[in-house]
Amino acid sequence: MTGIEWGSLMFGVMLLLLALRVHIGIAMLLTGSVGYIFVAGIDPLMSYFKTGAYARFSVYDLSVVPLFLLMGQFATHGGLSKALFQAGNAMIGHWRGGMAMAGVTACAGFGAICGSSLATAATMGQVALPEMKAHNYSGRFATAAIAAGGTLGILIPPSVPLVIYAILTEQNIAKLFLAAFVPGIIAALGYMVVIAIIARVSPADAPAGDKYTWAQRLQALVATWPVLLIFVVVIGGIYGGLFTPTEAASIGTLATAFVAWRSGGLRGRGFLECMYGTAAATGMIFLILLGADVMNVFLALTQLNVELAKWVIGLKLSPVLVLFMIIFIYLVLGCIMDSLSMILLTIPIFYPIVMGLDLFGLAPEAKAIWFGIIVLMVVEIGLITPPVGMNVFIINSMDKTVPMKDTFLFVMPFLASDLIRIVALVFMPGITLFVLKLPGV
Amino acid sequence: MADILFTETGQRYTGVGLGLDRLCKLLAIASGISLLVMALLSLRSIVGRTFFDSALQGDYELVQMLSAIAVAMALPYANWIGGHVIVDFFTAKAPAKANALMDMVAHLLLALFSAVLAWRLGVGMVDLRGNHDASMMLNIPTWWSYAPMVPSFALLAATSLYTAAGHLRKLLS
Repeated sequence: MTGIEWGSLMFGVMLLLLALRVHIGIAMLLTGSVGYIFVAGIDPLMSYFKTGAYARFSVYDLSVVPLFLLMGQFATHGGLSKALFQAGNAMIGHWRGGMAMAGVTACAGFGAICGSSLATAATMGQVALPEMKAHNYSGRFATAAIAAGGTLGILIPPSVPLVIYAILTEQNIAKLFLAAFVPGIIAALGYMVVIAIIARVSPADAPAGDKYTWAQRLQALVATWPVLLIFVVVIGGIYGGLFTPTEAASIGTLATAFVAWRSGGLRGRGFLECMYGTAAATGMIFLILLGADVMNVFLALTQLNVELAKWVIGLKLSPVLVLFMIIFIYLVLGCIMDSLSMILLTIPIFYPIVMGLDLFGLAPEAKAIWFGIIVLMVVEIGLITPPVGMNVFIINSMDKTVPMKDTFLFVMPFLASDLIRIVALVFMPGITLFVLKLPGV
Repeated sequence: MADILFTETGQRYTGVGLGLDRLCKLLAIASGISLLVMALLSLRSIVGRTFFDSALQGDYELVQMLSAIAVAMALPYANWIGGHVIVDFFTAKAPAKANALMDMVAHLLLALFSAVLAWRLGVGMVDLRGNHDASMMLNIPTWWSYAPMVPSFALLAATSLYTAAGHLRKLLS
């Protein structure tokens, strides 16, 4: 058998193992190893294993991932989600559907210091759902709005999947974060439009909340200053070239730890919960990374991805059509897989294809960044699509009176806004890329 | 993104299970503290080079070592609470015993691979110690970072075996 045949066979075996409940990291590790043995022999594999794990875990740029996870844990324990929601609520809560919009803006704000969607959705759900219920919001609408809003946790930098994409494709993390910013804001605005429409069509689901005085508003806004400060220092520091992403995440971690400590969030079991939560998420991500590493070494040996890219490009299909086929595959995979596994599994295969296509005449670096943002948006949709939209599961479980299908039903308009945004980002790369052309970047 | 929120299962363990539970939690805490140390080192480095013109020498090396240690020590806990990701879409409606069988096999595979990795890392550690491999700037022996990784992978193997045994009991009941 040729390398390409081995590669295709092992890739198929891996998909089969995944369907049979083998851990994603182990499925990649197993098939990658077996393929490696057939192509190169067992001795090279055994000597690779001597140093492979250390080499993978000690990559300097990857150290930002556990730090962002720890930062998210501290932010969750620091009461910042509550301050953000109250500020949004004081400003626009009295609009029709305004409390849901406040929830979405608060999610966006929390996303600016937290790199995870589930954490954002969960912490905001705990704060916003009871308040919305108390103001006669329907459970199905409230849960759907917060579940969708939670995806902003990832879309707005810092973003863990974007770090992984940057490392896989050897792109600049700071530029990717910067490029993600405008599409993230557009996502938040899109969700607010959806809320406004639902509030008009079905006012019973989304009534108006209380109106606050300007003094109260000012007070609520001022309470969010730690979020603003941490965001400016972390993200501003990365863009300004003041420090590396790891250093920025370090400062953010210490700052959120301080906020959590001051607010009493680390008392009792609080600190231990932060440690356990970080370990759980870190271990989960890096086992997949370890497996993907072996799989990718094997794929590189077989040249499978290079040959596949050559073949697809040789078909001379319309490049935009190929891109939409890739997006479609992500949407399907997103129904059954988590976002990070999808990125690790598919980027080594799709990235060479996209880089070989002529898409709107974009230069290679611009294309890589633009594709990264599109991938980020598409994989995040998987968090709110049935049957296993994790955000929807988490938020729905917080309101026992709402059947799961009702939440999913009300998530649909938000999904529609996601799809419209993705099409817009595909046909107008400038939306994503113009910030990189601003002076001083 | 894939991450975990409800990290405590609330399950009570006895005997071997209790021992594994404590070890996993101990390593999880050690992992988090390594990250905090890493953050403090970075802060020291930034403050040093901004205000005193004395960057911390070799801060990259320390971050890399701490990162590798922190990640490895997080693995057993993630497995202990059932946090490693699987695709359960295709088997969601399968009988409980069929799923128990598949989960048992999956955990045996995880145990096998973590045991192999623990063994190979152990061999790698002895090699590195033998040829006095050390970091460029600070001359820290490389095998020091391997030392916590070997038991971490061994514990990952042990927790997978324990979980596999649990699935076997379900299968036989």
